[in-house]
Amino acid sequence: MNDNMNKGFDQVAAFQKLWTDSFANMASVWSQFSPASPPSDEVRKMRGGMLKVLAETWDEYMRTPQFMEMMKGSLNGALDLKRMARDGMNRVHEQFETPSKEDIDGVLLAIRHVERRLLDRLEGLDDRVANLDEKIDKVDQRIAKQENAIERREQTSKTKAEKPAATTGAEHSPSI
Amino acid sequence: MDKKTSDGAYWEAWQTSFMNEAFTTLRRFTSIPFLPEKMERVRKGVTPRETIYEEDRLKVYHYIGEGEPRFKTPLCFVFALVNRPYIMDLKEGRSIVANYVKAGFDTYLIDWGTPTRAERFLTTDDYVNGYLLNVVEHLRERHGSDQVNLLGYCMGGTLSTMFTAIHQDLVKNLVLLATGIDFSTREGLINLWTDPRYFDVDKFVDTMGNIPAEFLQSAFLMLKPIANLVEKPINLMENIHRDEFVDDYLHMETWLNDNIPVPGEVYREFAKYLFQQNLLTKNRMPLGRHIVDLRKITCPLLNLMARNDDLVPCAQSEPLNDLVSSTDKEKIIWPAGHIGLAVSGRAQKELWPRAVDWLVQRTD
Repeated sequence: MNDNMNKGFDQVAAFQKLWTDSFANMASVWSQFSPASPPSDEVRKMRGGMLKVLAETWDEYMRTPQFMEMMKGSLNGALDLKRMARDGMNRVHEQFETPSKEDIDGVLLAIRHVERRLLDRLEGLDDRVANLDEKIDKVDQRIAKQENAIERREQTSKTKAEKPAATTGAEHSPSI
Repeated sequence: MDKKTSDGAYWEAWQTSFMNEAFTTLRRFTSIPFLPEKMERVRKGVTPRETIYEEDRLKVYHYIGEGEPRFKTPLCFVFALVNRPYIMDLKEGRSIVANYVKAGFDTYLIDWGTPTRAERFLTTDDYVNGYLLNVVEHLRERHGSDQVNLLGYCMGGTLSTMFTAIHQDLVKNLVLLATGIDFSTREGLINLWTDPRYFDVDKFVDTMGNIPAEFLQSAFLMLKPIANLVEKPINLMENIHRDEFVDDYLHMETWLNDNIPVPGEVYREFAKYLFQQNLLTKNRMPLGRHIVDLRKITCPLLNLMARNDDLVPCAQSEPLNDLVSSTDKEKIIWPAGHIGLAVSGRAQKELWPRAVDWLVQRTD
C-alpha cells in the first residue's frame, strides 16, 4: 500500500515538474516580445517559442521512469480488463455451445503447426536433394576424369603401335 | 527621425499588419468549404502500375514507365508492415518510385496487405524466408536474372537486411532508408518505451493477438505530441488558403491515418529480439532455422538516414555499415525527418537523384 502511494506521489511530482518547467521556460519566451515588430509576426514568434518549450518539456517528461510506470500501469490495466471481458465471453459461448474467438485461434494455431511441420519436412527434403545433387555431381566429375584418362591411354598405345610398323617398313625396302 | 514621426510609422506598420492579417484570415475561412472536395481528389499512388503477383494478402505491383527499362536487374521496394506502402509513390513530384522508373529500372513494390486474425501467428521468418523469398524468386524468373536489387524502408529495410544476410546470392545491391538495426540506443522514445521493465510484450501480444492499428498510430502520435496535436492543426489553419500546402497536407494525412495491424508474432519478435535484446547486431537473431549474420552481407550497400528522425534515430541505422562485409558501402545522413527523407521537396530534388545514380552505376 505504501509502495503504491509512493509511486503515485512520484508520478504526480513528475507531472507537476513538467508544468512548472514549461511555465518557467515560457516566461523567458514572453520576455523576448518586441513591440517594434508587427504584432502578427510577434504573436507567431511567441507561439512558436511556447510550443517549442512545451515540446521539449513533454519529451523530457516522457523519458522519465514515472511516466513509463504510469504507461505500464494503464496498459496492464487495459489488458487485464480485456482479458476479463474475453474470458467472460468465452464462458458465454461455452454455455451456448457456439464457437468463440479462442476456439478459432486454437484452430488457426493447429493449422499453423501442421503448416510448419510440412514446411520443415519439405526444407529437410530440399536439403537432402541438394546433398544428393552435390554427390552426383562429384561422381560425374570422377567418371569424366576416368574416361579422359582411359582415352589418353588408348591414344598413347595407338601411337606406340603405329611407330614400330613404320620402322620395319624402311628396313625391308629393296635397294636399287 | 523625431518621436512623432517614428510613432506614426510604428502605428502605420501595426495598422498594415492588422489589415493584412484580417484579409488573410478571410481567405482562410473562405477556403474551408472547399476542403472536402480537395480530400476526395487525394489518390493513393500516382505512377501507373499492374499487379503481377499475389500470395495470401500480399500483392506485388509492377510500375509501368514510358519507355522500355534500361536495366536487366529488377528493383524491388520493401516497405514496413505497419503502414501502407504508397508513401513511396505519394504524389506527383513526391514519389521515390517515379524516380527509379524514370531512370529506367523495372520497379516493383510489395504491398503486404492488411493482416486479419488468420495472420496472427505469422512470424518474421514467414515474411523473410517465405513471402519475400517467393517474390524474389518470382522476379528472378520473370526477368531471367540471377539477382534483384532491394530497397527497404524502415521496418522493410530491417526485413531486407535479414533477407540479404541469409540469401546474399540473390541480392545484387541493397538500399536502405531509415532502417533500424542497432536498438541499443536510448535516443528514440520507442526504445525507452519497449524496455522490458515497463513493457510486457508477451502479455500484450497474448491478449491482443494482432497489434491494432489504433495502438500503433497513438504510439507514433505520442512521439511528438505537441507537433502532431497542436502545431499541425495550427499550421493547417494558417496555410489553408495555399492550394499546394493543402494538397501536400491531405496526401500526408491520408497516409498517416492509414495504419494497418501488425501480426502479433512479428510484433513479439521485433519487440523482444530487436528492441529488447538487440540480437541483430550480435549476429544472433533467430529466423526460423537460420541465424541472421550481418557479416554475410557482401553486396554494395547504400544506407540513407534522416538526421531529425524521431522514430528511427541515426544511431539505430548507422552501425550497419560497420557490421557488414561489403567493401562498397556508403551512408548519407540527410537533414529531414523519418518521412521527409522520402517525400520532402528537397530530398526529391537533391537526395533521390543521387541515390538513383548510385544504383545506376552498380546495376546492369
